[in-house]
Amino acid sequence: MKKYLFLLHILGYSLVAPGQQQENCNLSLRGQVLDDGGKSLPGATLFIRELKLGVVTDVDGNFSFSDLCPKSYVFEIQFLGFESLEKKIRLTKSDEINFQLTSENKLLQEVVVSDHHQIVNKTNTFSTLTSGSLEEVKGKSLGETLQGLTGVNSIQTGPAIFKPVIHGVHSQRILILNNGIRQEGQQWGAEHAPEIDPFIANNIVVIKDAGAIKYGTDAMGGVIIITPADLPTDQKLGGEFHLIGNTNGRAGIVSGLLEGGVKNLKGWGWRVQGTGKKSGDSQAADYNLSNTGFQELNYSASAGYHEETKGIEIFYSHFNSTIGILRGSAINSTEDLANAMEIEPPQYTEDFTYAINQPRQEVKHDLFKLNAHSRKGNNLFNIQYGLQINKRQEYDLRRGTLKEIPALGYLLYTQTLDGDWEISLNENHSRCVGVNGMWQDNNKIDGTQTIPFIPNFTNYSAGLYWVEKHSTKKWDLDFGARYDFRYASVVGFDFRNELYRSQFSFNNASGTVGGTYKINQSSSFTSNLGSTWRPPNVAELYSLGTHQSAAAIEYGLLLDEVTNEVLDIDDVNFKTEQALKWVNTYRIQKGKLNMDLSGYINYIFNYIYLKPKGVTQNTRGVFPYFRYTQTDASFVGADLSLQYALSNSLAIGSKVSLLRAADQTQNDYLIFIPANRYEVSLRYEKERMGSWGNFYTEVKAKYVATQTRAPRVVPIQDIIDAYEQGIDLIGEDSENFDFVAAPAGYMLVTFNTGISKTLNDSKFDFRLSIDNLTNTSYREYTNRMRYYADDLGYNISLALKYSF
Amino acid sequence: MKTALKHLSLLSLIGVITIFSGCKDDDPEPENIQELITKVVLRFTPAGGASVIATATDPDGEGSQNLEIDGPINLTAGTTYTLTVELINGLYDEGEEGYDITEEVREEGDEHQLFFSWTEGTFSSPAGAGNINTSGLVNYDDEDTNARPIGLTTNWTTSATTRTQQTFRILLKHQPEIKSNSSTAVDGETDLDITFFPLNIN
Repeated sequence: MKKYLFLLHILGYSLVAPGQQQENCNLSLRGQVLDDGGKSLPGATLFIRELKLGVVTDVDGNFSFSDLCPKSYVFEIQFLGFESLEKKIRLTKSDEINFQLTSENKLLQEVVVSDHHQIVNKTNTFSTLTSGSLEEVKGKSLGETLQGLTGVNSIQTGPAIFKPVIHGVHSQRILILNNGIRQEGQQWGAEHAPEIDPFIANNIVVIKDAGAIKYGTDAMGGVIIITPADLPTDQKLGGEFHLIGNTNGRAGIVSGLLEGGVKNLKGWGWRVQGTGKKSGDSQAADYNLSNTGFQELNYSASAGYHEETKGIEIFYSHFNSTIGILRGSAINSTEDLANAMEIEPPQYTEDFTYAINQPRQEVKHDLFKLNAHSRKGNNLFNIQYGLQINKRQEYDLRRGTLKEIPALGYLLYTQTLDGDWEISLNENHSRCVGVNGMWQDNNKIDGTQTIPFIPNFTNYSAGLYWVEKHSTKKWDLDFGARYDFRYASVVGFDFRNELYRSQFSFNNASGTVGGTYKINQSSSFTSNLGSTWRPPNVAELYSLGTHQSAAAIEYGLLLDEVTNEVLDIDDVNFKTEQALKWVNTYRIQKGKLNMDLSGYINYIFNYIYLKPKGVTQNTRGVFPYFRYTQTDASFVGADLSLQYALSNSLAIGSKVSLLRAADQTQNDYLIFIPANRYEVSLRYEKERMGSWGNFYTEVKAKYVATQTRAPRVVPIQDIIDAYEQGIDLIGEDSENFDFVAAPAGYMLVTFNTGISKTLNDSKFDFRLSIDNLTNTSYREYTNRMRYYADDLGYNISLALKYSF
Repeated sequence: MKTALKHLSLLSLIGVITIFSGCKDDDPEPENIQELITKVVLRFTPAGGASVIATATDPDGEGSQNLEIDGPINLTAGTTYTLTVELINGLYDEGEEGYDITEEVREEGDEHQLFFSWTEGTFSSPAGAGNINTSGLVNYDDEDTNARPIGLTTNWTTSATTRTQQTFRILLKHQPEIKSNSSTAVDGETDLDITFFPLNIN
């Protein structure tokens, strides 16, 4: 499986023969790739990570690299059916070496290995951003980075807040694994970006099946797995330094990393890393977007010991961001909203500034992780402890001195303890059983002087799972089952600001079954059916209040429709949300063609969503109000990713994501569903250009269609006018609705180019990219800012990377 | 390494136990909710006469029940009234700090303004239909530190003839840093927006 990715990787960096011309860089490395029995492996691929250079072994399993420098290189060696091998080799002279690969059947069927946790099964449908393709988008936020994958979009709130969407679902319905730990900030709503520094990632895998059984509940849409590089195990000091500048927002990004081993302590390695970002107001094609600046300061440190059969690692990361929300989107009533939607450029549009005023979010996330593994014969044991502290404060426009204190503040502690045992029963069969435990505590930060939007809560969760895998010559099969229990105790304040207590508990099972049929050497078919559930989010049950910028009041499922009192969960007709997702993928990698085609159906029973229920009046005017309600929802779609090599250095590519979502019970459309999108790209690459290398230049055109499957449009003025005549436009017909029609389709052109230069032990990479090259004015349906302002105009980005 | 693993498990366990048991189930502190306006009182006072009072009360704050507006407002034809607007936060008891929001708005008058609109012809002064959707005048009788109107006190002379079923709307806007001689009812955020109906001139 990794071979496909790997070949794709090579294809991405052209199928050129080895070479890297340098002064003193005249060393060669030759040898053979062998299987566990010492038999030579013809057609195995070798890849030098630093040089992005690949070769294939000849009939006798021989390979040779020339023009190498006297330094360390990481070699990735792969052959279908064998465990891929990564080896760091320090060259001092021309040398000869043999690499021995272990048959995959003897180990676990892993595609990406991190901390010896298997991440992707052979029977999953997934997309990967490898270190190479991640390099080309360094500096972008996680959500933006992921948009490069088919089937992955984002729900946006302005230019800096991207929430990943997989196959039309997001937030609580997808899991993000940050270095092996479930990112718990993910359950905050769609207007909160995941608190992760993408500079940490060495690769990002998106599994698009439901119920990736190992990671717990909630993975209805899929799982995003962010994995840092393995810690170094040799003594040499290595590092990299990034400097990136963007014209849009006049943003600067600095990121650095240092890593190495420990003298006289074989197997020990460490890494420290940090990133700083500062951006002022972003610009739409025609005007400044006032108060959309943001800043970020992130750092992490890790250390660990690894040897052949054991390893232990400690990791700490800190994420701190302040994000401005478009000033013109801050509104207090529906009249304000009607005004804000009409005025363009938005109200309060001023000249560019780096200042970030109200409204804004301030978010801090700390992650501490300790994990270890041990291998004994055919057994592998993993244990992992994680602590996350997520602090979130939102500043709003408020009267007088109140604007200096946050209108919303929460502190969320999460502790997790995971353990698993993987065993290879025989060459073709492996098993994994594991347990997960979680304790979570959320408390309001006192002093907001508002009735808390969600209550304080304490969650206890426990889960147990079992995964069985079987391989034959033609088939890979797997089966998994899982059971989870959650208890939550809640204490909050009702509309009278009086204390209430409440609790609920749920337990349920998840299951998945999948298979991959190897049609022939170059193609395969994968099918995976998963059923998973998720316990309701506290916000879905207990929410009370007006959402910033939404001019809509939200009520949780447990609030009585008339009295607004909090009801017991047994007294409302609540059923847990349950998803059944079936994904089928055909992959072919043949000659010049590399293609992935997937189709999926995700049917979510008892889907919880905010349903418009009526119009109410308070002293600030007339408001539509929404209640969390349950329905059945369906998401049906297809993704296509295709590359075709026109010549050794020229390739065309195409990506297509199609999706149709529906509210099945009401026979209605859902809001904020990504529209269909199509991308074509043309890429030219040249491995060597005199003393320079890794040259690439690429043009991409992305067309996003109008979302025609959007709910009815009810303009705000109509709601207000009707209310004055005693008519409740929303209550009378509680279909979903939107205030304005879905924006028109648009096309964006992107240009990217880059080149590297190697000097002795160090390497310089230069990148230039231009987003929205034609400075098109457009609005994206899934960006909440579309109500008020155009999306971003052109951006020229220059990046320099120095590594040694 | 084996011992390292053992230590690790032990350490994790201790960590978990410590934090688990460190969590007490104390009641959280309620917030002081200063911003909420749950009741608005309009007091039309003629020179030397008794006030005509109208109130709008929100029974449940952010809850889904509607605002209760009493009425009608019955004013005498051809009479000049001083209108004072009182803003009340019903989460506090009368006399408690936080109950009366009027003073707070007055103190921050440089970033607040009340706007009014009504059925044209209800008043002989000001004439017109108000300054919300039309650019009519309002007789403001108070001013902020920049000598701009606030609108907590205003003067009104009713029409000389009888009129019934008139509407009267008040709109309080929060205009931080944008209140100016030219700012209008569309600028800033709405703190209050209530339409009283009916208003009769007898």
